[in-house]
Amino acid sequence: MFDRDSAGVRIELRGLTKQYPGQPAPAVDNVTLDIPAGELVVFVGPSGCGKTTTMKMINRLVEPTSGEIRIGGEDVLNLHPDELRRHIGYAIQQVGLFPHLTVGENVALVPRLLGWPATKVDNRVEELLALVNLEPGVFRDRYPRQLSGGQQQRVGVARALAADPPVMLMDEPFGATDPITREHLQTEFAKLQKQLRKTIIFVTHDFEEAILLGDRIAVLRERSRIAQYDTPANILAAPADDYVAGFIGQDATLKRLALLTVEDIEPTEPFPSSNGLPRVDAGASLREALDAMVAHGSDRCATPTGVLTYSALCDAVGSNGAVTPKGVSAGDR
Amino acid sequence: MTADTLTLGGRAEAPTRTTSGLRQVVTPVAIVAALVALYAWVSTLELDSIEQRSLNREVIVAKAIEHIQMTVAATVLVVVIAIPLGIVASRSKNRFITPIILTGGNLGQAVPAIGLLVLATFIMGVGFQTALLGLVAYAILPVLRNTMVGVQQIDPTLIEAARGMGMTKGQVLRRVELKLAVPTILAGLRTALVLTVGMATLGAFVAAGGFGELIINGLKLNRMPVTIVGGVLTACLAFFIDWLGALAESLLKPKGI
Repeated sequence: MFDRDSAGVRIELRGLTKQYPGQPAPAVDNVTLDIPAGELVVFVGPSGCGKTTTMKMINRLVEPTSGEIRIGGEDVLNLHPDELRRHIGYAIQQVGLFPHLTVGENVALVPRLLGWPATKVDNRVEELLALVNLEPGVFRDRYPRQLSGGQQQRVGVARALAADPPVMLMDEPFGATDPITREHLQTEFAKLQKQLRKTIIFVTHDFEEAILLGDRIAVLRERSRIAQYDTPANILAAPADDYVAGFIGQDATLKRLALLTVEDIEPTEPFPSSNGLPRVDAGASLREALDAMVAHGSDRCATPTGVLTYSALCDAVGSNGAVTPKGVSAGDR
Repeated sequence: MTADTLTLGGRAEAPTRTTSGLRQVVTPVAIVAALVALYAWVSTLELDSIEQRSLNREVIVAKAIEHIQMTVAATVLVVVIAIPLGIVASRSKNRFITPIILTGGNLGQAVPAIGLLVLATFIMGVGFQTALLGLVAYAILPVLRNTMVGVQQIDPTLIEAARGMGMTKGQVLRRVELKLAVPTILAGLRTALVLTVGMATLGAFVAAGGFGELIINGLKLNRMPVTIVGGVLTACLAFFIDWLGALAESLLKPKGI
């Protein structure tokens, strides 16, 4: 199957359509999309636009009416659905941890379905719990109801990663947590993905989340039609139409600032003159830098490498471009 | 209706759990006390020859064995019949046969058991099998309903997660649905057992023995002590079985739920 290698593989959707019997219009209408290997693509759109249905056709929880799905060049519709699903990571908003199984048993589920030897499964469970920042010695033998919502979602992600699938489908996996835990999980997950480079389809209705996590974003309208499919920076800089602009909201420029870090632009002044200025970390976003400036009524702030001015910030998101002085695009974060 | 109340009882676990520690001790103590009191009371009576023929160790042990045999055999049959039927009735693709299965179960409980026994006697004659038929028909409903409800009430997102991870339908049923339905199924089974112990007294009408024989003989021959002994023993057996059922529920309930 397509997972001889655990690194991400390309997903191609061709004319994918789902027509439910007795419905006047298809739920998903003729979707064609290429998802490059190792990228995280976010499907974003309003509730009921068919984004989840589109995602579920990829692991065939929903059978397409017509169209083609290829994962790593392999035609998914020719594979046995149960077998296929064991090779695709799957995480959902409600997490769906089995209450009668321990955390360790939940994570071990797919590797056991695949018939891995017991020691390999044990090692993998340990590795994964550590990966999602849950101390294996503490959490392995707990039951899901003994965990907080955020911990459950981490286990959900660990379980989806268990068999090291090249492709993962995630349906609002951080949706059911409070904003603070959510942001924390998102940041952690972004780091994790940078390291794992899986091909991930991530469904959300939260555009902020899409910007934070996505290498690319597919903005969907009703019936899962693609309104725009591009990198977050390009979508923010040039929304295709009013629908997409409406989805972005009024603060597109601020969102673009959030996509860039202070490392992405050359400091305008040398380091010594930074005394007494508000300070930001090297990894801070330009939005945080702006926040620091506004909070201190200053038009400049200190970074570890020098001083960043307000005008440099404006240049970075200048009139038409998401192009930054160092030529870094958001997709490379 | 019994099944409904028990299903609710199965869901609202917390209150039963907190009292179960106490109940696990109180019930056997109460049963032993009742039996001792019964023995003491009978000992004070001067039994005539008719009473002596019923109230002696051999007869009582024999009746107890017959009664328990009927109960156990009927329960085994109920498990074998009602749990698979309950699973079949719980599948959404079978929603057309579900009402038929449920009607069958309801009918078994709604038809007066004594009438059913009489009808069965015409066909099968008297004896153990006839009594068994009546008992099984009567006790199927609680197990059937609770299996069905127990499987249906499982959070659908769990089923979706299981399918999404690549479990086959059979694996989902065995490893997720039935495991999570165990408390509800056991609650139904416990009701069925208690019902069966009570109903098994009617087995005496079709010559299947059991404590019912003591009750009926006592009534027929106008010997109150014999009837009372039969009644109290049946009640004690019912309480004891219920206690065993509670114990089984707490032992077999999957950890973590």
